[in-house]
Amino acid sequence: MSLEVASVRFAYRRNPVLEGVDLRVAEGGFCALLGPNGSGKSTLTKIIARVLAPAAGTVSFAGRDLLATPRREHARVVSYVPQSGATPFEQTVREAVLLGRTPHIGLRPTRRDREIVDASIERLGLAELSDRPMSQLSGGQAQRVLIARALAQQPRVLLLDEPTSALDLRYQIETLQIVRSVTREEGVTALIAIHDLNHAAHFCDQAVLLDGGRVVADGPPAEAFDEALLSRVYGLDVRVSRGAAGVEVRPAALEPTPLRAGTAPKESA
Amino acid sequence: MLWAGTVLTVLVTAWCVTAGTTDAGLLDVGRAIRLRVFGGVLDQDFAQTYSVIINLRLPRVLLAFVAGAALSLAGVVMQGLLRNPLVSPFTLGVSPAAAFGAALAILLTGGSAGSGSWLVIGSALGAALAVSALVLGLASAKAMSAATLLLLGIALTQLFEAMTAALQFVADENTLQAIVRWTFGSVNDAGWSDVGVVGACVVAALPLLLWFSRDLNAIAFAGDDAAKSLGVNVTAVRVGLIVVSVVLAAVVVSFCGVIGFVGLVGPHIARLAIGADHRYLLPFSFLTGGLLLVVADTVGRTVLAPSVIPVGIVVAFIGAPVFINLILTRRAAQ
Repeated sequence: MSLEVASVRFAYRRNPVLEGVDLRVAEGGFCALLGPNGSGKSTLTKIIARVLAPAAGTVSFAGRDLLATPRREHARVVSYVPQSGATPFEQTVREAVLLGRTPHIGLRPTRRDREIVDASIERLGLAELSDRPMSQLSGGQAQRVLIARALAQQPRVLLLDEPTSALDLRYQIETLQIVRSVTREEGVTALIAIHDLNHAAHFCDQAVLLDGGRVVADGPPAEAFDEALLSRVYGLDVRVSRGAAGVEVRPAALEPTPLRAGTAPKESA
Repeated sequence: MLWAGTVLTVLVTAWCVTAGTTDAGLLDVGRAIRLRVFGGVLDQDFAQTYSVIINLRLPRVLLAFVAGAALSLAGVVMQGLLRNPLVSPFTLGVSPAAAFGAALAILLTGGSAGSGSWLVIGSALGAALAVSALVLGLASAKAMSAATLLLLGIALTQLFEAMTAALQFVADENTLQAIVRWTFGSVNDAGWSDVGVVGACVVAALPLLLWFSRDLNAIAFAGDDAAKSLGVNVTAVRVGLIVVSVVLAAVVVSFCGVIGFVGLVGPHIARLAIGADHRYLLPFSFLTGGLLLVVADTVGRTVLAPSVIPVGIVVAFIGAPVFINLILTRRAAQ
């Protein structure tokens, strides 16, 4: 039982984005998809979410070919949290989360659907906002609504496309905690495209580093984060330190520099 | 709410049947319909009222209702699918294209093909489908913004109005008169067969659209990408529903001519009344669009009675300020 991506290739017109990606996430695992802008993180999440169709390769979960199953059935297994965008029409938070039941309901949502919706609203701490129109929410709140929607879909695989980029520090951490608890408590497999290497290292079991459409590192964060590799991939000199709190990545430019008389700028108090 | 809306619609529609130069109360309308449906003896002193109600007022009011309902449904579907509250059959250039198609058919047959003939309907439908394929093809190929799409619609509207004008320029007297009929929409000369065809289309379309309201919600609120991940076959649903809405608009145009603004304003009134969830918005737009056109037509035939102002003109007087207001408030919101 695992999510498996094998030799996936994708190109936007003539520009190759993914050039044969293989990865495997164990069931209940929380995997971070890392890499610089344009490395193909978003594209890979969209392919697994069936938003984009790959030129070649397979995606399967628990041995089942996810690219060949009917869309509606696929949507009962895999849910996707896009980066939040504006909606042209007014909708309350509860209605927005109810959209997550789309692959499960017929014409009308049942009482059970509404209970599931209320539970995921509660889980994301949105209960007080549930009758608020979406247009009145902050960017961070709107992003949490999208996560609640994805949870209301009751997926086995949860995909998140940079869900924390619009959030402040507190909600970044809370969001990652929620996703991790979903993987721990419900055995949901989660794959998150994320920029912050340290958050990934702290919350995720597995880190997959993409560069130029290929996987260049895959493993537990402590093993996958290699100073030379990260420096090359990001084009920036970084230091990786392994301490009691786990692995930590810092740009070398932010390392405390040894004082050299007369040349080092004084830090302001 | 939906039931209250339905009851209100029936009452207002019935009241509109009573309005006009020949005196007829609600009771007379009821009596005439009873006679028509169940048969019975027609009194001499009621014969004229009966004839006015059954042969003139009722088909006219009902045609206005189903035409308005069809345009409003077409508008709400287009707005949802394109995620743009400013589009409608008129602003996308679909209705003007249909009018051109109708005018072309009339000209080529030398004015012998009248309103509701299959040739005119087919030609209107063909032109409407062609232009919507063009607009939507360009919109998806170039990943257009809402504003660009509207500008494209305006350009096409201008183009087709100019082409219709060119046809009028070369047409002879009889043909010209028949074509001009299409350029301002009206329900004058409405007959039961017109009501039957337009009514059948809209009555068939409503349950079909309702069946897809869940998918429409996903596309309208979540966007294409998220709708796909919610299990909606976005491309197929979009093409299918656009075809349905274009057919609705084109059929109305081929019977009643170009009636603008209903497809835009009807959905907005409905959205204000009941919210944006398409499961309720679709039937409510059906009611508001129908009601709007019935009221506009009643105004048109009573304010300057015995002269009758075509309903397309009356609706434009109501619709233009509403549309301007929509654009201005939308700008302010961005």
